[in-house]
Formats: sequence, C-alpha cells, structure tokens
Amino acid sequence: MSVFKEFTKGLWQELPPFRLVLGLCPVLAVTKSATNGLGMGLAVIFVLTWSNILVSALRKVIPRKVRIASYIVIIATFVVIVEMATQAFFYPVYEALGIFIPLIVVNCVILGRAEAFASKNGVIASALDGLGIGAGFTMSLVVLGGLRELIGAGTLFDVEIMSAAYRSHSFSFMLEAPGAFICLGVLLAIMNAVSAPSSS
Amino acid sequence: MKAADLTVSTGSHWHSGARITDFSYNTLLALVPAIAMGLYHYGISAAGVIGTAVASAMIAEAAMQKLLGKPVTIADGSAAVSGLLLALLLPANTPAYMVVVAAFIGIAIGKQCFGGLGANPLSPALVGWAVLRITKPWVGYLDFDLALINYDLGFSMQYPLAVLKASGASGLHDFNTWNLFLGNQTGGIGASAIVCVLGGGLYMVARGLVRWEIPLCFLLGVFIASSLFRLVDSAAYAGPLFHIVTGNVMIGAFFLSTDNSSAPINRWGMVAFGLFCGMITVVLRVWSVYPDGVVFACLLMSLFVPLLDKLRASPIIVRPATIQITKEARREGASS
Repeated sequence: MSVFKEFTKGLWQELPPFRLVLGLCPVLAVTKSATNGLGMGLAVIFVLTWSNILVSALRKVIPRKVRIASYIVIIATFVVIVEMATQAFFYPVYEALGIFIPLIVVNCVILGRAEAFASKNGVIASALDGLGIGAGFTMSLVVLGGLRELIGAGTLFDVEIMSAAYRSHSFSFMLEAPGAFICLGVLLAIMNAVSAPSSS
Repeated sequence: MKAADLTVSTGSHWHSGARITDFSYNTLLALVPAIAMGLYHYGISAAGVIGTAVASAMIAEAAMQKLLGKPVTIADGSAAVSGLLLALLLPANTPAYMVVVAAFIGIAIGKQCFGGLGANPLSPALVGWAVLRITKPWVGYLDFDLALINYDLGFSMQYPLAVLKASGASGLHDFNTWNLFLGNQTGGIGASAIVCVLGGGLYMVARGLVRWEIPLCFLLGVFIASSLFRLVDSAAYAGPLFHIVTGNVMIGAFFLSTDNSSAPINRWGMVAFGLFCGMITVVLRVWSVYPDGVVFACLLMSLFVPLLDKLRASPIIVRPATIQITKEARREGASS
C-alpha cells in the first residue's frame, strides 16, 4: 500500500533536519540532552500530525490567498495545547525547553509539510506523513542530543554512562552552541557519505 | 570589442616566489628561538606539549586526507606549523588529551572540512585554542596562574594580564616593561618569549613571507586603543607598551593573524584587518571576562576577511599591460 510509504519516507528519505535541512533552530538549541530532544520531538509529532490532518481536511475550504495565515492559526492552536499540557504534566521538560515550545509555531518543518503535502493530499495520507516526518524529527533530535550529552556531560537520558573521572572533566564544548553546529555538520556529512552514490 | 566587459583586477593572491614547504619550514625556523626559550623556562613538559601538538596535528591532517580521498600532504609542513602555534599558546603543563583534542578539531574541522590548505576561513591553531577555552571543565588548565603554580623561574610568577584584570594598572608596579619584553613573564610556552617571537617575526617579514602591513598595524591598533583607555583613566588602564609586551600580542601580530588563507590580500584590507585586530584585542582585555583577547580578536576579524578583500582602493599588484589594453579597448569602443 502506497499510503504506508508516506510514513516511512520521513524516517530516512526526507528525514527533516538531515535531508530536508528544515527546522534547524530547535535542532541546535534544545539538543543539550537526549531527554530534551525526545520531549521536543514528541511535541513536534503531536503538532505536526494534527495540523496536517486539519489542514488536509480544510484544504478545499481555505482560500489560496490567505492559506499561510490560516495554517499558522491552525498550527498555533495545537502549539498552545502542547505548551499548556507540558506545563501542567511535564513541568521539568517545559522548563528545559522554554521558549522553544512556543517557537514550534514557526518551525519550518510544520509549515513546510502543511504547504507542500497536507494542502494537496487526503486526510489519511497527511496524518501518516505527519507521523512519519515527526518520528524522523524526533529520532534525529534524540540521536543528536544523545551524542552531545554523552560527549559533553558523560550521561545519556541523565543516566551516568562515563566514569566519574570523565564526567568531572567532560568535553563540555559539545554542549555549547558551536558544538551543536559541529555535531550537526559531522552527522550531515556522514549521512551524505553513506547515501550518496560513489563519485569515483 | 566592448570595453564594459573588461574587468581590471588584482591577482587573487600574493606570490612571494616561495612554495608551501618554504613557507612552512621558514615559519618553523622563525619560531625556533621562541621554542628554545620555552624549553629553557619550562623544561621537558613544554617539549611534551609541543611534540604532542605537532604530532597530533599532522596525524589529524593525514587521517582526514585519507578519509576524504585526497593526496596526503603532511610533508608540506603546514599542519606542523598549526600544531606548533597551538602549542606555543598553551601553558607548559597542559594535559596531553587537551592538546590532542584541540589539534584534531583545529585541523579536522577548522581546516580539512573547509577544503584544506588555502581554503580554511579561520586559522586552525586558533580554532583549536578557542575550543579549549570555551570548554568549562578544562579552563583551569589554561589559567596560567593555576597551571604554572609549581614553577619558580626567578621572576614574578603571576600572569601580568591576570594581575591587570584583578587590580588595574596600579597593581602592575612589580612588572618592568623591559623585563617583560625579554620574556621574563609567565604565559604560553612560546607566546611569552616576546623578544624571540619579535625576532622570528622580523625574519619572516624580511624574507617576504609575512607582509609587513598586518603586524605593524596590529601593534599600532593595540597602541592606539590602549593609549585611548590610558587617557581616560591612567590608574585603571595599563599603558600601550605594557599591552604590547604581554600575553599573545606579539605572536598574534606576526604569526597568528597572518595565517595565509584567513587574512586579507590587499594593502588596505591588511591595514584595516591589523588595526581592528589590535583594537579589539585591547577592548577584550579591558571589558571581557578573558585576561587576553588576541585569539578571539583574530578569529573575529578573520570572519570579516571576505569583506575586507573588497577594499581595493589601491591594488598592490598593478598590471600596466592589462590597463593599457583596457584603455585601448575603451578608445576603440568610443570611436566605433
């Protein structure tokens, strides 16, 4: 069934931060730990899936000239839901992610999927697309956050992995902003090297 | 032929006639006095830092070139120069793992990822140093007062710039400018040997391997900015000579800021680059949390090099032949 493809493409072919190179702001900013990456990713999955469903359902109602504004209203609605829910039930995550939860509104991945996919496809396909892209986004954030946390602090999901001697002298450069850029760039290079056809 | 299509411009690079190997090995030669003074002051541990840095920079270069499928060019010595410059900025007893990490990131990320020699926007040695500097658990090893606490070399073992930061210019009566100039101060292995670095730098300038504009304007920038601060409050801010003979200013002016691919290529670009490097150095020394600002000033100004390269009011290489052709063509274009 080709609908299932809409889900799996988000896991590798159109993996958001690495393939589409979209939504880099939260990718760089919130991946100081794997936990933060996971929290951010789950929030994005929720917003992306539901905004895709709603945009797709309303795609024949929304006038073309005001579509971006309409998408933003739809996305903002779900972002507020996520923000209130995390504030109520997952307060530490809410504190760690801070401004980046409201900023999901302007995450390019979500608006990009609404514009490029949900406004042209059916509800079920759009829902699967949102789930797939969101899952890929979450996966990328967890991998990046895990790498940075492991090297920068010696822990993974707040579990102490490295020895105490390493943790007291950890390479905290990876937790700083330049470390995020370098880590993202190296992962991007590795992914391109793995998937690109050999030039020789 | 339309005259408007002809563009007269300078060559993209200086060419002094030297090859890369000549440049690298002359740089190494110019730094020998500074290395000697470092070894004299700090002994075998300084040799360890220098050896580790040079070796890991060359290994990193070879490994990246193998990985990227390029010809391995560690024999040209450019990686060795980067490693050596990095080592000369560090305290003598920097742990080996820090040196290795800095050299690897400087060469692998700062140089090879951007395309290798000639394509790096920032000097690899400075990238490596900056990585160490912003890694919080490691900063203690870079604090000269803490790192060199076990040494007693017969002169004041306080880092002059840390004293300046802590107690202002009034705390500097222990330091004699001439003594500081002779290298009797704590600091990086080679960076603190001011007179040796100056000698090596003058050798590079005399050989035409380093343009005189950048070092001169760098020192001039330090002089101007520190004089201005001095005019405002002579009790709080140190004088220009003190700023020139302490910390990394001398090695920065002659060796760090003049990295071939991260410095401008036109005369006015070089002048502006040097002046701003010097002035930002003093501003960072006065207002930032860091005692010395040379490395960050050089890194910052290197980012402006693509803009500074557009300062072409007075191109250094004038090619009369090209200009004549253009004039003739213009005359032809006007007459036809």
